Amino acid sequence: MALDVRREEIGEAVVLNVEGSVDIYSSPELRGELKAALDKQAPRIVIDMTGVSFIDSSGLATLIEGLQKVKGYAGDLYLCELSQTVLGVFQLANLDHIFTIKESREAALG
Amino acid sequence: MRDGRRGICVVLSSDVKFLGPMRTMVRESCGLLGFEAAACEEIVLAVQEGCANVIRHCYGNSTDRRIDLWILFHDHELEVQIRDYGTFVDPKTIKSRPLEDVRPGGLGVHLMKKVMDEVKFEQNEAGGTTLTLRKRVAATDENETGGS
Repeated sequence: MALDVRREEIGEAVVLNVEGSVDIYSSPELRGELKAALDKQAPRIVIDMTGVSFIDSSGLATLIEGLQKVKGYAGDLYLCELSQTVLGVFQLANLDHIFTIKESREAALG
Repeated sequence: MRDGRRGICVVLSSDVKFLGPMRTMVRESCGLLGFEAAACEEIVLAVQEGCANVIRHCYGNSTDRRIDLWILFHDHELEVQIRDYGTFVDPKTIKSRPLEDVRPGGLGVHLMKKVMDEVKFEQNEAGGTTLTLRKRVAATDENETGGS
């Protein structure tokens, strides 16, 4: 399944609704959408991964890059609605303690 | 297969857009071989990382090179071979980054090693690299009695 990233703004937050596989092929698309939010220094970026069925190391790299950039301007990046499979990849890479991962979109929007 | 192993072999173009269909094939093959869904996902991840490394590092992102992918099962063990015809990657030069050094990149080999029992890089007769991934599973009637 290809990647679909839909962007919406809720208050001060930019929410990226991601569907499909985030891999070496598709991660440039996510990087582009993330960059748009980072360029405007959105104080809170929420990546809703409800529809993400697979993530590889390229996808993780894209998110790490985003996290580092958002921290650069003292913003927040939240991930939410991860499937067990996707969360498992974060755990394998010890990234589940690096990212702020929320169970629900509502919790991520605070 | 006459040597008692069961499985599948496919030839892929070294184009990242084919990795999605490759994953579907690996996932379904591992399911047919009796692996549980969680184990199938781990194997899919390892094969994805192996193929992506070939495309990026051995073929320099060329999209028209060849990757041979074997998925074989025998005696409670899955063996995946990913064979390329590019530049041999010396295993000594392949390092995962320390996990505490959080930065983009350097996670592919780490992920493979975490989910597979064995990860081995060897130079093949074509001068390229053969990556062998092995994963053992508990015996079940289903995964040891299928036909060739």
